[in-house]
Amino acid sequence: MYVGQSLPRPEDFRFLTGRGNFVDDIKPPDCVYLAFLRSPHAHAKIVRIDAKPALACSGVLRIVTAEDWTKAGLGKLVCVHPMPFTDGRPMREVLRPVLASGEVHHVGDVVAAVVAETRYQALDALEAIDVEYEPLPAAVKTGTALDNDAPIVHKQFGTNQINEIMRGDKTATAAAFAKATHTVGMTLTSNRVAGSPLEPRSYVADYSPPTDQCTLWATTQVPHMLRRWICRYALFIPEHKLRVISPDVGGGFGQKVNFCVEISTVVWMARELKRPVKWTSTRMDALLSDTQARDHVSKAEMAFDNDGKILGLKVDTIAALGAYLSNFAPSIPGNSYPQTITGLYQTPALDLRVRCVYTNTVPIDAYRGSGRPEATWVNERLLENGAREIGIDVVEMRKRNLIQRSQFPYKTPVGRTYDSGNPPLLLEKLVALAKYQELRAEQKRLRAKGVLMGIGIAAFLDKSGTGPSKQLSTRGGLHGGFESATVRVHSDGKVTLYSGSHSHGQGHSITFAAIAADRLGVPVEDVAVMQGDTDTVPYGNGTWGSRSASVGGSAIYRASEKIMVKATRLAAHLLEADVAEIVYENGLFSVRGKNPSISFAEVADAAYHGARYPDDPGFEPGLEVTIFYDPPDLNDPEAMHLAVVEVDRGTGRVKLKQYFTIDDMGTIINPMIVEGQVQGGLAQGVGQAMMEHVIYDDEGQLLSATFMDYAMPRASDMPALKSDYICTPAPSNPLGVKGGSETGTIGPPAAIGNAIVDALWHLGVRRIELPFTPHSVWQALRVAGAGE
Amino acid sequence: MYAFDYKRPATLEEARKALEGVAESKLLAGGMSIVPVMRYRLAQPSALIDLGKVAALNGVSEANNTIRIGAMTTHYVVSRSEPIRSKIPALAQLAGGIGDPLVRNRGTIGGSLAHNDPAACYPSSILALGAAIHTNRRDIDADNFIVGTFTTALEPSEIIVAVSFPPPDCAAYIKFINAASRFSIVGVFVARRHGAVRVGITGAGHYAFRCGPIEQALSAKFTPEAARAVRIPADGLNDDIHGSAEYRAHLIPELTARAVEHCLAGTPGAII
Amino acid sequence: MTKVIINLTVNGKALIAEVEPRWPLAEFLRDHLRLTGTHVGCDSSQCGACTVHVDGIAVRSCTLFAVQADGCDVKTIEGVSSGNALHPMQKAFHENHALQCGFCTPGIIMSALDLVRREGYELSEETIRYNLEGNICRCTGYYNIVKAIAAGARAMRAGAVT
Repeated sequence: MYVGQSLPRPEDFRFLTGRGNFVDDIKPPDCVYLAFLRSPHAHAKIVRIDAKPALACSGVLRIVTAEDWTKAGLGKLVCVHPMPFTDGRPMREVLRPVLASGEVHHVGDVVAAVVAETRYQALDALEAIDVEYEPLPAAVKTGTALDNDAPIVHKQFGTNQINEIMRGDKTATAAAFAKATHTVGMTLTSNRVAGSPLEPRSYVADYSPPTDQCTLWATTQVPHMLRRWICRYALFIPEHKLRVISPDVGGGFGQKVNFCVEISTVVWMARELKRPVKWTSTRMDALLSDTQARDHVSKAEMAFDNDGKILGLKVDTIAALGAYLSNFAPSIPGNSYPQTITGLYQTPALDLRVRCVYTNTVPIDAYRGSGRPEATWVNERLLENGAREIGIDVVEMRKRNLIQRSQFPYKTPVGRTYDSGNPPLLLEKLVALAKYQELRAEQKRLRAKGVLMGIGIAAFLDKSGTGPSKQLSTRGGLHGGFESATVRVHSDGKVTLYSGSHSHGQGHSITFAAIAADRLGVPVEDVAVMQGDTDTVPYGNGTWGSRSASVGGSAIYRASEKIMVKATRLAAHLLEADVAEIVYENGLFSVRGKNPSISFAEVADAAYHGARYPDDPGFEPGLEVTIFYDPPDLNDPEAMHLAVVEVDRGTGRVKLKQYFTIDDMGTIINPMIVEGQVQGGLAQGVGQAMMEHVIYDDEGQLLSATFMDYAMPRASDMPALKSDYICTPAPSNPLGVKGGSETGTIGPPAAIGNAIVDALWHLGVRRIELPFTPHSVWQALRVAGAGE
Repeated sequence: MYAFDYKRPATLEEARKALEGVAESKLLAGGMSIVPVMRYRLAQPSALIDLGKVAALNGVSEANNTIRIGAMTTHYVVSRSEPIRSKIPALAQLAGGIGDPLVRNRGTIGGSLAHNDPAACYPSSILALGAAIHTNRRDIDADNFIVGTFTTALEPSEIIVAVSFPPPDCAAYIKFINAASRFSIVGVFVARRHGAVRVGITGAGHYAFRCGPIEQALSAKFTPEAARAVRIPADGLNDDIHGSAEYRAHLIPELTARAVEHCLAGTPGAII
Repeated sequence: MTKVIINLTVNGKALIAEVEPRWPLAEFLRDHLRLTGTHVGCDSSQCGACTVHVDGIAVRSCTLFAVQADGCDVKTIEGVSSGNALHPMQKAFHENHALQCGFCTPGIIMSALDLVRREGYELSEETIRYNLEGNICRCTGYYNIVKAIAAGARAMRAGAVT
């Protein structure tokens, strides 16, 4: 059995020796370079663009603006995952122009593009383009975007409100609060972050006039969807005329799943100039244009009875989506967030309102965790503050409120039914792993010495395996949730898998190979995996939403099953027996109880020979299956985190001393890879918790435009970590697998925030603002009158 | 990056001639400060005069109880230098905490001081230790060297040759680190010599400065409590996304107190 | 602005090239020598993805100009292993799952080798973490990288390798 083993990754060799093939490594002969002119204003009218001086610059081949794009009759970027108002009205959608037209709506908005012989020449020419702007008032802060006097981002709507999503039962919740003995209320802000995969986005488009064929090498997580969007929405060209290749991609986390503005221009210019065109984002481009994430302001309350049992949860959230709707954006606060807001608790009544808003900032979209960190931050901060105020230990508080194993499948007040889980076991294991009682004893000892140690927990649900296509389409989704898989057995019995998902570090190759190798009974070294080429891989929906194992892997599994049905039939024929008598073991087909056997490789050989076939109607040569697997349901990973911190009262610096995680991801295919995903996610969660913050000033100027100001964790910022796992298989896929790559990002803001409040509770601190920078903690101490 | 000419002189005299000979030219030391600024197209020197091969500018020496550090000596070398570790361990500690190992492999004391970033570490140390900056024209006392944000007393075409430090009786450097840039939010260098205390502060203001009130308090009583008791006004201190002016005003005495603790314990300081 | 002729050795091979002074070494390696294993991940000289060795010392190749490498011995990730055999440090990274997307990996390995040069073969977790300040990884969370560097250093001593 390969599934369950920590098999090493074959792709490591090329990465370790510097022989990866990343898009910026690609440099076709005769390649020219593109640079984008970006708006310096958060909101302004474009009065005039004069590109003439720039056109005269050395090496410049073309300069384009919105006017050229419109003249060419080209299209606009479409939000493919809309979220209408709960009352049925469509959301207020403005289609995003590829080049800003009439107005710019955020600092970094693309105003013009220059193509020149060299990158330096393109950058030089940018400076010669003269743009006259008329600045307009900008709506920057999320919390005030719906105020009466807020500047309007898109004036045609007369409001910044995009939609309104209501979930739960207002009346029942009001009643719950009315009878509650305790309530806790807070305003909670989830900080805006920038995913910042280390490889900047890069695109190379090459157009061949004789074949009218364009090839686009793209840093994308979704090659087929990208091809579709460019062809269908932007350039109006047939899909078979555009080949998208996503080679090695240096991290994605959601930032490379987007229909980003720049891509269409690169392809367009290649077709116009009939030369390869290349654009690679600088880091500053990335911070001004890659989609950002989170950015919620929530007023929330939780009601409890005297025993600390949750009676109701009331949440009113304003979620920023930025200046334009990016392709998945509305579904993050509109769907993922509501579905996980009650987490792992039996919450009898919920009153949730989410209003998405436009602001004059970089568009928001999916980023690892997508809605769940925001949900967990609200749910868990309320719960722990409630526990402390009532006087119940935070572990005990969870014991009293967790959904029990026997209650699964569990219908939540939001409408979603959680598939499987065992939250009490998660808690039990967490308490054991962290040696919770000893930690509390140590906390007491240290407090006597004036050392501020804190312990905080986050219990939460992830939501993964997106998803049944029907479900997506009920929300108006313009894309499916299936995944493609081709299992091609070669005539020598070796295998190539083609998967519509795409690895940008998650180790799909060995994971999918293990699944197929087990099902086909072949050595895993004999299985190769191909991804990321729309010419060779059947249409897939790509990698995001922790779907590759449960959807992509299941597709591989189902296709492998079909291969085995055919191979068994052919083996039976070759062994002159009935299918029912055939036994397959250790790569050999034999007749039960008899000697002669035939190997998988020999069956493959026969399949491609075409000579000896059964007479079954429709039985064809070859041994290859392609399927499109649509999952019947999402799946629900669950996890719990415990953070131990020490707060330096004099400076506000928080030291992360220890961190514990218990995950339930159902069946684990490759423990080594899954652990890497938990750890990597944790770094990003720690990042959001401790230091990452995209900051705009009141005029909408981005103050965190380089890594000098946008902090990300280094090795020395990470806490000592212990992790463990339980398994409640996902009932909805043949592997029992749940998503495993996002839980790391979900827990830290709540777990660490709770730990800090725990450390400082006796000093009067009740709230802490994300991120927990020394300044933020010092402020919290000051507000509580406990600063030194 | 704008285009520029490049010269790599072999001697100090050649360097001076090159610098004086080309208008808008700049010296290139380790490149840790100037190159990123050029990459953002915020600086446009017509030529870079690379001091990397001027051997005379490199090295640590000791004479007359003074430590002399050549301008092109890297932070790594300073952090490992035996004379510095034994005579001014706080300075080795400071150098060993600048940036990261890759920065320390290239960054130089001369480059850092000439650039005078308001959050750089070295400026606090020259103030606290009462260093002397030796150029190819004259010697400048530390107190007269730093004159403004990114501005020093160096005249056009004046080249730092070496920096000399009189060893203190005790000293410590506390660097309160900015998680993004790995520079200081506030850095405090405390040095005590013959009973007099000097305190150099970086990161808190528009340029590194000596904190008179704290120096007086510590000269009277060299204890952490004495430092903590000083109230620093927030006026004129940096206010940015990494911390408010009030916060920095709070940190100055707090970090100074910790530096004093280190001094009393005989340890050179810490990055916190 | 005049181009400059430089003479240097790259991964043991002597070569002559004509460069513009403004070309960073990273650009020269990637675009002109087509040694694309050295990566560019930021524009503020912080991420370390571009780390190479110049005269045996690890530096950021984005912050050094190609002209400055005149007369120098440059080693990139492509020069670390010999033939098909991985260097013990590379092997340790593979065995400890210390890479995911692979983008930061060359830079981290070059930094790790420099760390061994400076601090020796027995590296504590604290030392390793502190010396990784100049390398950002967005995928792994660093835990396995720290393990790999410790294991790689010990394996280097066992094999008497630099």
